Amino acid sequence: MPNIVLFSGSSHQDLSQKVADRLGLELGKVITKKFSNQETCVEIGESVRGEDVYIVQSGCGEINDNLMELLIMINACKIASSSRVTAVIPCFPYARQDKKDKGFFDIAVDNLYAEPAVLQWIRENIPEWKNSCIVSPDAGGAKRVTSIADRLNVEFALIHKERKKANEVDRMVLVGDVKDRVAILVDDMADTCGTICKAAEKLIDAGAIKVYAILTHGIFSGPAITRINDAPFEAVVVTNTIPQEEKMKSCPKIQIIDIAMILAEAIRRTHNGESVSYLFSHVPL
Amino acid sequence: MMCIMMCYVMIGRSPPVMNHTKGGLVIFSANSHPSSREISKRIGERLGVELGKVQVYQEDNRETRVQIQESVRGKDVFIIQTVSKDVNTTIMELLIMVYACRTSCARSITGVVPYFPYSKQCKMRKRGSIVSKLLASMMCKAGLTHLITMDLHQKEIQGFFNIPVDNLRASPFLLQYIQEEIPDYRNAVIVAKSPASARRAQSFAERLRLGIAVIHGEAQDAESDLVDGRHSPPTVKIPLLIPKEKPPITVVGDVGGRIAIIVDDIIDDVDSFVAAAQTLKKHGAYKIFVMATHGILSSDAPKLIEESAIDKVVVTNTIPHEHQKLQCIKIQTVDISLILSEAIRRIYNGESMSYLFRHIGLED
Repeated sequence: MPNIVLFSGSSHQDLSQKVADRLGLELGKVITKKFSNQETCVEIGESVRGEDVYIVQSGCGEINDNLMELLIMINACKIASSSRVTAVIPCFPYARQDKKDKGFFDIAVDNLYAEPAVLQWIRENIPEWKNSCIVSPDAGGAKRVTSIADRLNVEFALIHKERKKANEVDRMVLVGDVKDRVAILVDDMADTCGTICKAAEKLIDAGAIKVYAILTHGIFSGPAITRINDAPFEAVVVTNTIPQEEKMKSCPKIQIIDIAMILAEAIRRTHNGESVSYLFSHVPL
Repeated sequence: MMCIMMCYVMIGRSPPVMNHTKGGLVIFSANSHPSSREISKRIGERLGVELGKVQVYQEDNRETRVQIQESVRGKDVFIIQTVSKDVNTTIMELLIMVYACRTSCARSITGVVPYFPYSKQCKMRKRGSIVSKLLASMMCKAGLTHLITMDLHQKEIQGFFNIPVDNLRASPFLLQYIQEEIPDYRNAVIVAKSPASARRAQSFAERLRLGIAVIHGEAQDAESDLVDGRHSPPTVKIPLLIPKEKPPITVVGDVGGRIAIIVDDIIDDVDSFVAAAQTLKKHGAYKIFVMATHGILSSDAPKLIEESAIDKVVVTNTIPHEHQKLQCIKIQTVDISLILSEAIRRIYNGESMSYLFRHIGLED
């Protein structure tokens, strides 16, 4: 019966350690470094022959370097006769350039959802949640937002961009009512944060008492942090799919939802051949 | 030797006629770094073709984005990619570009990658990965139909691809440099800085009708250790192989009172070259040249070369090294865009490539 061997790439060692702790394992020994000509070098430090290998690498920071590192690690494990290799990629890179979907892969894909963790966070950290309104910053996120709103039994709203004339800038229009409510903006990614900051201002203007933003992946590139500090947010909540320690130092509004237990549970269930779909609606204890 | 020089004079006369009756030719440079696009511009000039319009850049979140701004449908696409400081980004740029051309129905996609990255990671190293095989698989999967490269570190890498690979040689250009720029080259000796490069030294010496010398000793063993297979603890006592004797550094061959020309394919970490130059000077060589096809020259290589006994380092422009040249005046460049543009022209027109491999010995 193969054992679980968990390796961490260099993108997010912290999260990998948390996942390993949850599983009651030590992280596998691996040396990842770069030669002076910037080529990546990977050396697995223990035997993986016949084992069930999981490699945790997030698509953040220097994406191309981390991607190559992941590919080389997978290749090394396969050559070393591992029984199975599974890549755990919390934030999948290049996701916006082409639609990531189950049909585009030749192998099994489990796309986990942060929704259960988000719901738990809302119930535990926003005292006025029963009187809140879940808002989507664009029309595309309507499905995501209505799903959360239904489970919390609250209202939802969305913001859509309207272009009146050809060379006029898009106007943001709020569809729904946030007056005297707590507004909770929900989206999957926060990159430069231009859209959500404008959305927050719009919501305050429309009468919202407080504005929260809950985003699965906090990429925060370019002017994102400055924009968040200047915007009227109560808190900006992201999961730890991407390391946030540095960003939190320059922005006190950022809070973290830890998803290590979801990943650990997914790994455990995959290893034991159990169903992973339980995780689509429940947060493991 | 005379005929080698003749053929290059003929080719360089005027921009050759391109066959315009087929779908058409498009040449792209997939590099985001402007210094890496130098060689692509030269190739474009030689062929009388303007480079295709494409935007390659890195977004704020460090993802690479490639936007092709003209139609490639039904055309023969050539993508020139040189390796810059960020190797992994260079690879992603190439893969994204190749895939974009494939999904846009290009007739054929040829990669022109003068220095093939990760070519030093082509053997099993303890529990490592054969990265060049991985890279070859990725490129073929992305849609590459042909690859042009130069002086592959190990010729066997050609076998990792299931598409045709043309491994061009830079030696004719380096030989031409020796004959034209080193006045008393007939008093030179071609030197191999370790037994591994003896074959290359031999092929150079043969064509110049010169002698060779080989440096052998302690300093060389460090590299060979790394290529060991994996270690498993033995279950039975196997008689131990007698450990190799590590002789002191010696020069096999006579360099006294001669010019020493060290030849190799890649010059990256210069420690071994500097040590070799030191040894050669001690044995009486009065001038020391280092000639290599690919000048990676990473980290503090320029500084070390400046301070060493090496008189000149001659590399080709397969890898941009303007930055290093500013730090070290001993570095000279030989332009090889001629052979790359000739290869592109021949492949596009369906002509024979064997002309480019005349006078290339088995050992080169």
